[in-house]
Amino acid sequence: MFMARSEYDRGINTFSPEGRLFQVEYSLEAIKLGSTAIGVATSEGVILGVEKRVTSTLLETSSVEKIVEIDRHIGCAMSGLQADARSMVEHARVECQSHSFNYNEPLGVESTTQAICDLALRFGEGAEGEETIMSRPFGVALLIAGHDENGPQLFHAEPSGTFYRYDAKAIGSGSEGAQAELQNEYHKSLTLEDAETLVLKTLKQVMEEKLDHKNVQLASVTKDKGFRIYTDEEMAEVVERLPAN
Amino acid sequence: MSAMFSQNPVMNGPNYSFSDAPRTNNGEFREHRFNPYSDNGGSTLAIAGADFCIMAGDTRHTSGYSINSRMAPKVFRIGGSNSDQSDATIALSVCGFAADGNALRDQLDTVCKIYRYRHGKPMSVHACAKRLSTILYNKRFFPYYTHAMLGGIDEEGKGAVYSYDPVGSYEREQCRAGGAAASLIMPFLDSNVNFKNQYVPGSGVGHELKERERHPLSRPVVETIVKDAFDGAVERHIEVGDNLQMMVITKDGIEEIMLPLKKD
Repeated sequence: MFMARSEYDRGINTFSPEGRLFQVEYSLEAIKLGSTAIGVATSEGVILGVEKRVTSTLLETSSVEKIVEIDRHIGCAMSGLQADARSMVEHARVECQSHSFNYNEPLGVESTTQAICDLALRFGEGAEGEETIMSRPFGVALLIAGHDENGPQLFHAEPSGTFYRYDAKAIGSGSEGAQAELQNEYHKSLTLEDAETLVLKTLKQVMEEKLDHKNVQLASVTKDKGFRIYTDEEMAEVVERLPAN
Repeated sequence: MSAMFSQNPVMNGPNYSFSDAPRTNNGEFREHRFNPYSDNGGSTLAIAGADFCIMAGDTRHTSGYSINSRMAPKVFRIGGSNSDQSDATIALSVCGFAADGNALRDQLDTVCKIYRYRHGKPMSVHACAKRLSTILYNKRFFPYYTHAMLGGIDEEGKGAVYSYDPVGSYEREQCRAGGAAASLIMPFLDSNVNFKNQYVPGSGVGHELKERERHPLSRPVVETIVKDAFDGAVERHIEVGDNLQMMVITKDGIEEIMLPLKKD
C-alpha cells in the first residue's frame, strides 16, 4: 500500500519512512516566523535582547513581554508562539522553586534548561499511564541566560527538546543574518557594555522597523544583580550609545 | 465463651456485644495496639573542627537487655558515585530505631546519587542537610524514629555538623551527642568543646566575667575527646559498647577508624 509523504504529517509521533518527525520539524519553522531574539554571554554576565514587533501605534509596547524571569539568577528570551512559552516558563519556575525548597540552593542553569526540554516531547498520545499535556510540539524557542557556580551561561532550547550552550546566539526571523553578524563580532573579552551594544547593533540590522528604545528590550544576568530587565531610562541610554547610520 | 465472639451464625450466639467486649485473662478489656517502633540503643557523636569533622558511634545493637549484634555500625558514607562509597564526602549517623535509620540512609543515598546524575556534581553538605530535613518532614505523621546527624566539609572548607530531630528540625552545630547516652556525653562536650561555664580568672566579678575563648580544636584533641566520651558512656550505659566507629572527614575524603570498647 502506498502512502503519500504528506500522510506522515498527521500522526504527531509517527516517523516518516525517511526517519523524520514532520510535526517537530514544522515547529522549528514556526520559530523562523517569530521576532528576533539575541543572547550574548560575556565573562561579566549575559545580555538578552529582543525586538518587539509594534504592529500598531496604539499598542502599549510595555505589554509585549518577550523576556521573562525564571528565578533570581535565570531569565529567558523567546521567539515563536508566545503562549507556548508560558507553560515552559511556568514549569521552569516551579522546578527552580522546588529545587531551592529541597536543597536550599539555586538550581543550576543547565539543569533549568534540561527541565524545560523535558517538557518538549510530551506531546501526542503518550505512553500508558503517562500524562500528556500537549497535542502538538511547542512552537517556541528559548534563549536561557543565567549565572551559577559555573559562571554566566547562555543556552538555546528548541521545540525538539535538544539544547546547546552558546557564547552568542540569535533566534527568530532575523536569526540567519544576526548569527552571521555575531560570528564576526563576538570575542571572549567583550564587556557587559560591549555586549549591550552588540545585541542592539545586531538587532538593528535585521529589524524591519527603525530601532528605538520602545521597540527593543534588553535584560541582563550578572553575579551581583541576578536577572534584571532594563528600565525605559536604561534602554534609552543604551540606544543613545549606538553608532548612528 | 468462644461462641460469643464467633462470626459464625451456626454457633448461634450474639456475635458481638459492646457491654461484653473481649477481655484479657486479667479481666481488663483487650485493646488493639500497633507498635511499629522499637529502640535499638546505641549512641552517636559528631564534632566539627576547623578543616575536618568527626562522626562517631558505637556498634552495639540492642533490644531491651539483649544484645542483638556487636557489630552494627551507625555511621555511613553518603552520596559516593560507586557502591563502595570510596569517594563520598558526607557522612550520616543515625541512632534510635535501627531499621528506620537504615531506611533513611538508603533514601538519602539514593537522592544524592540522583542529584549527581541530574546536576553533574556531588551534593554539597549544605544542600544535603536541607534535603535530609525535607525527607524527615515528609514523614511528619509516621516519622523515622531516629536522631540523625550529618557531617562534612562546607563550601569554605570548614568542618560542618548538622543535627536533626525525628521530624526534620535541624541546626548546624559545633558538636552534638545523640542516642541512648546523649545525656551523658553532651555535658562533657559542653565543657570540653564549647568551654561552657568557664571564665578567664580575674577578668571581673558577676556579669563582668569574661568567658574562656573558644578555639577550633585540632584533630588529635578531637579524637581523644571522642574516645573519652565513649569510654565514659560505656561505663554507665548498658546499651552502649562493643566497638567505637569513627569517620574522620577531611578535604581528602573519609577515613574510617574502628576501636574496641568494653563488651560487658
